[in-house]
Amino acid sequence: MLAEILIIAVRGCAIGSIFALIAMSFNIVHGATGILNFAQGNMFVLGGFAAFFLANEAGVAWWLLMLPVAGILVAVLVTVQGWITLAPLRSSVEQDSWLISTVAFSTIIAALLMITQGPFAYTVQGPVPSFRILGVRTPGAYALAIGAMFFWYFALRIFLRHTFLGLAISALSQDFDAARAAGLPVRRLQLLAFAISGLIIGTAGFLVAPVISVASDAGLRYVLNGFVAAVVGGIGSNLGTLIGGPLVGIIGMLTAYRIGGAYQDLASLLLLVAILMLRPQGLFGRSSARRV
Amino acid sequence: MAMSETMAAREGGARGKPRFSSDLPQMLIGFVLIAITGFVPSILGNSYWVHTFQLVNIYIAASVFQNFLFVDAGQKSFGQGVLLGLGAYVTAIFFGLHDWPFLLAALAGLGAATAGGLLFAFPALRVQYFHLGFVTLSAAIVFPQLLMSLDKWTNGINGISVSMPGLHQEWFLGLSPLTLMIAVYPMIALAIHYAIRRSRLGRDMRVAALSPEAARSLGIRPGVMRFIAFIIAAIGTGVCGILYLPAVSFVSPQGFNVELSFVFFFAVVVGGRGQMLGPIIGIWIVFILPNIALAQFVEYRLLIYGLLTLLTVILFPDGIVGSIERWRARRGVTGRGEQAFRVDRFLETLEGGRETRPGDEVVVEVRGGTKKFGEVVAVDAVDLKVRRGEIHGLIGANGSGKTSLLNVLSGLSRLNAGSFLIKGEDATRRSADRIADMGIGRTFQTPRIFPQFSLWDNLRLGIDARVGDGSADIARLADALEAEFAQDSAELLSHGQRRLVEVMRAVLKEADIIFFDEPAAGLSQGERANFAKLVRFLARRMGKTIILVEHDLELVWDIADTITVMEQGRVVASGSPEAMSNDPAVQHMFVGGRRA
Repeated sequence: MLAEILIIAVRGCAIGSIFALIAMSFNIVHGATGILNFAQGNMFVLGGFAAFFLANEAGVAWWLLMLPVAGILVAVLVTVQGWITLAPLRSSVEQDSWLISTVAFSTIIAALLMITQGPFAYTVQGPVPSFRILGVRTPGAYALAIGAMFFWYFALRIFLRHTFLGLAISALSQDFDAARAAGLPVRRLQLLAFAISGLIIGTAGFLVAPVISVASDAGLRYVLNGFVAAVVGGIGSNLGTLIGGPLVGIIGMLTAYRIGGAYQDLASLLLLVAILMLRPQGLFGRSSARRV
Repeated sequence: MAMSETMAAREGGARGKPRFSSDLPQMLIGFVLIAITGFVPSILGNSYWVHTFQLVNIYIAASVFQNFLFVDAGQKSFGQGVLLGLGAYVTAIFFGLHDWPFLLAALAGLGAATAGGLLFAFPALRVQYFHLGFVTLSAAIVFPQLLMSLDKWTNGINGISVSMPGLHQEWFLGLSPLTLMIAVYPMIALAIHYAIRRSRLGRDMRVAALSPEAARSLGIRPGVMRFIAFIIAAIGTGVCGILYLPAVSFVSPQGFNVELSFVFFFAVVVGGRGQMLGPIIGIWIVFILPNIALAQFVEYRLLIYGLLTLLTVILFPDGIVGSIERWRARRGVTGRGEQAFRVDRFLETLEGGRETRPGDEVVVEVRGGTKKFGEVVAVDAVDLKVRRGEIHGLIGANGSGKTSLLNVLSGLSRLNAGSFLIKGEDATRRSADRIADMGIGRTFQTPRIFPQFSLWDNLRLGIDARVGDGSADIARLADALEAEFAQDSAELLSHGQRRLVEVMRAVLKEADIIFFDEPAAGLSQGERANFAKLVRFLARRMGKTIILVEHDLELVWDIADTITVMEQGRVVASGSPEAMSNDPAVQHMFVGGRRA
């Protein structure tokens, strides 16, 4: 019984950290552009594929070297995607086009992965050995997930509050027109936000590849759970993702243990509906940010 | 085609103006296209094409409802395939596994689809936009998972086969009852979409989608509109599911994965968002191209869907039909210049009333109203009394709390302390739509004019928002406006004319209290003079009470009966224009002439 609670708590927190990382990558792009990038789940899975192709069963040194490579590769891809997504917004008054184009991107990446890699999940071996917590064997990647969540939380916090570029991006999320009027290179800052989001999910996918489903059709599930984590925490609040992510992860684990693995996504969906009904601005969201 | 053209000419009016909306001809062309693809294969006896176009036409019907939801209600759903699947699967379960009569099973299927729609509709009461995109998308992901894991009821991966020879039996000309139903249903779906769009409900939905605060100031509740839209779309799509079952004779979880929902969504985008023909052309391209025309590359179909959609968004965001329509509209546009929208002539018809003076009855009263935004106190313990029939000017520097007060009075934001009464009733905690229904009209700093509507439909929103029966005078005015502007576009109107449209909207609403938020900003000198005349007419001839937030002090002094001066959220002076001219609190505002 105690072991089960422990497993649920540890695994829930670890898987939840992944959702929190995806939620943070949502937040930075959303803050700078108002866009929620539906393709981020597939970009995350690409990080996992990068781990398979670049560093499967590799030694620690090579693996450490490949970590930033994977992050940069995904960041480049997300930046290109961001550039294409933002391009029609330059002229069009209507702003929903990003919703369509990011979903289209998500579909295209999934389709390309399906065509080139087939429908099956890849198994990735990481260099970090599994360890025991109170006698329960825990894959090393779980620790990496939690570590990555805290690393990116603090890195983003320092970047957004204490560097010029970070402050400029924060200014975009406060008041778009004022930032433009103040002479900030809005489009380049937005692309930078896309790049950072790619760096977050690219490295995250690489680190946790051994414990996620590295498969062509997995992206949508991750993007959804990441979104639920973002909504629970309050969209725009990175602090909220630290709570929202693990909460979604634990609820998913609890569902898997008590009801069945097939019902995890249903649990996330119901959690999302419940949060939107009861507290649409999330736990840490500003109520003014809510658009009702 | 010939029929649609004659009808087009008739609708265009006697002056032969090009029609504003091509919805009707598009719908009629749609009927023809659906009829051809629905009936011709059966008449020719080609069973492959019969089957293919049955599926295509079911998908077209589902996309019609997606289109309605997408544009008329402004909601992006990635889960319409779930509703179709619920309709099909639940019908299959009761008909195929439990031997219920088909109609009864179909009713259960429809109920299930509606219940699924509720899952989308309830969050829609609170939130919109990408939130609902994620709710619907996760439903699309969860649905096939549930079909697999609830195998006790659904037969799991094996799916359910049904046999319905009766529906496939030929009646005449090779047509079976099923063929007839499946060909007629998308036409019904199109007709429903067209009818809703032309109805008050449709206009309300669209306003709610385009400008929630304008909607609320017209007495519309945006959440309720979204809710209704999702339910209508769920029922319409559920029927598609019921038809899907006999058409395919088999349901399995793989048939209802995310891809199906994406097909409907992408079809609407590629075909042309909001166009009546969009779903038809969209499904033909998105579904037929990869699945039939390029059947040897069927594993590339997701890639083709995605690429087609991405290219559409980047290269021609209006979609195929939308781009053609845009080209047609551009050729047909007939702007009537500065004078396109004049109201004097119309108001003359109301000129019978005698001059009224402000009464003693207080119709708007604020008692100690305080509104804070975080630390900032925008409105600070304000007391205000406005008498019936009075023109009440509210002046003060930027940030003095005028617009905040106006937003409180119209219910768009709520007081933190104090209260206010409208016509003697406490309205402090009432929502904007309920306040609008108390006979309040308002204009916004940027006029809320919707180019999607004809000029007349823009005005008509006022009639839609009216509570109770209107007066005969206004009905006559409305008829005259309709005759003149039914086919005019509102897109080319100048800023000043847009302002007039908003004012006329409030007149048609028969609001007896009207709030103006900086109405003179951006008006030319001539427009300003006309506007002053109009406001005076509203108050003196029509007995309306006017609250005017304005920076143009000359205008305010010219027309106002009472002037209230605000500074940093507080009322610093209030009285007649003459008294105010001599008030020391106001003197400094006149430095360098009578402009603030």
